[in-house]
Amino acid sequence: MRFDLSIIFDNWQLFANGLLTTLLIAVIALPLAFVIAIPIAFMKLSRIWPLRALAIVYIEAFRNAPFLIVLYVIFYALPTLHIRLPALVVGTGVLCLYASSYLAEIIRGAFLAVPKGQLEAARAVGMSRLQGIVQIVAPQMLSGLIPPSTNMGIILIKETSVLALISVAELTYQGMSVQAATFAAFEVFLVVGGLYWLLCATLSAIATSAEKRSARSIAGARRASVADSFLSLEPRGRK
Amino acid sequence: MDFDPMAMIAALPQIGQASLTNLWIAVVATAIALVIATGITVLRALRIRVITTVLDIVVSAVRGTPILIQIFLFYYGLPTLGLDIPPLIAGFCAVAFNSSMFVSELLRGGLTGMDRGPIEAAVALALPRRVIWSQVVLPQLYLRVLPALVGEITMVVKATVLLSSITVVEALRTAQQLASANFRFLEMMLAAGILLALINLAIAFIGAVIEGRLAVRRG
Repeated sequence: MRFDLSIIFDNWQLFANGLLTTLLIAVIALPLAFVIAIPIAFMKLSRIWPLRALAIVYIEAFRNAPFLIVLYVIFYALPTLHIRLPALVVGTGVLCLYASSYLAEIIRGAFLAVPKGQLEAARAVGMSRLQGIVQIVAPQMLSGLIPPSTNMGIILIKETSVLALISVAELTYQGMSVQAATFAAFEVFLVVGGLYWLLCATLSAIATSAEKRSARSIAGARRASVADSFLSLEPRGRK
Repeated sequence: MDFDPMAMIAALPQIGQASLTNLWIAVVATAIALVIATGITVLRALRIRVITTVLDIVVSAVRGTPILIQIFLFYYGLPTLGLDIPPLIAGFCAVAFNSSMFVSELLRGGLTGMDRGPIEAAVALALPRRVIWSQVVLPQLYLRVLPALVGEITMVVKATVLLSSITVVEALRTAQQLASANFRFLEMMLAAGILLALINLAIAFIGAVIEGRLAVRRG
């Protein structure tokens, strides 16, 4: 056997198309998953038990069943409901729901990590609960949200490969079709894997720099401690 | 076609039997992954620059690529290298290989938070390196990561359904075979999904019990 990369160069357009589709799916699914995850997270935090139960069932179903099977269930369920959508749309949608169940838990964790007194203080100065959450708690959640969300983004990028099995023409699907035509499995899947690796590494590099920036802005905010400036002291922990 | 709950229930025994394949693949693969991951952890601790760099690259590459691609590499790729292996073995190796990298990261994380005292005591007693690892470090480390390791088994159970794409007969493949005979795709997929989710819930429950026991032990 010889390692023949010319197969990759001959079919570079297929790989480029696949890579773009994969990127497109991830870029659409991740923000959308966040939007879905926020109400679910707050449903699980809610004091009303039917809402909480609903959120728990949603989260546990998506987290415990294999993604491929959830994908197939929804893929086959839609036609029985007389809904016909292209595989790309179904796949992106299911991926989005799947990611939202993990993100809901991440958001809930970040919310609980903010000290309770913050929301209570916001209520005490006359803010509504919603105002307190949006203006006081949410900004403080951000730093706790970035690392696990990045992790989720990487899981999501990798999970897009499963959509190949319902024939969404993303990177893995293109790799499978080139492999079927050329039998150069080793070259094809090494290159496809390398491209996924590149995507994941890029995302993680972006997140690390964002994390550093947010850490710096928190360090900057600490300067203005009310008690310290009242007593005209130097900020604590800074000499 | 309307949803037929009876067809789903009728398929449960057969798919249930097949889902045991997923379970044993996951349990055995995670056990093997623990052995490989222990090797990686010990090799890392030797602080040999070349080995550490190579390990870092391999772990990062495996964690940064979809497991489906790794399964394809083992199943389609190895025969082109002259290694002809059946789908089950290829799939099993891919899953165990993938999991070992994730477990090695678990061990790495467990190592950083570990009590330094016993290790320092062992070093002070000039115990041989091998004894320190096998008698002092690893027993504590395994206890620490046990709950996370149980969680890893659920991840591997979920990964095993991907083996259906390389013709390994497990829960999903069985469901697909049944569906191609009775055309009840939705019902068969739902049956497989419910069964595997129940298996994972059971594993997660065991993990929670273990975690509780360990917390009591620590006091």
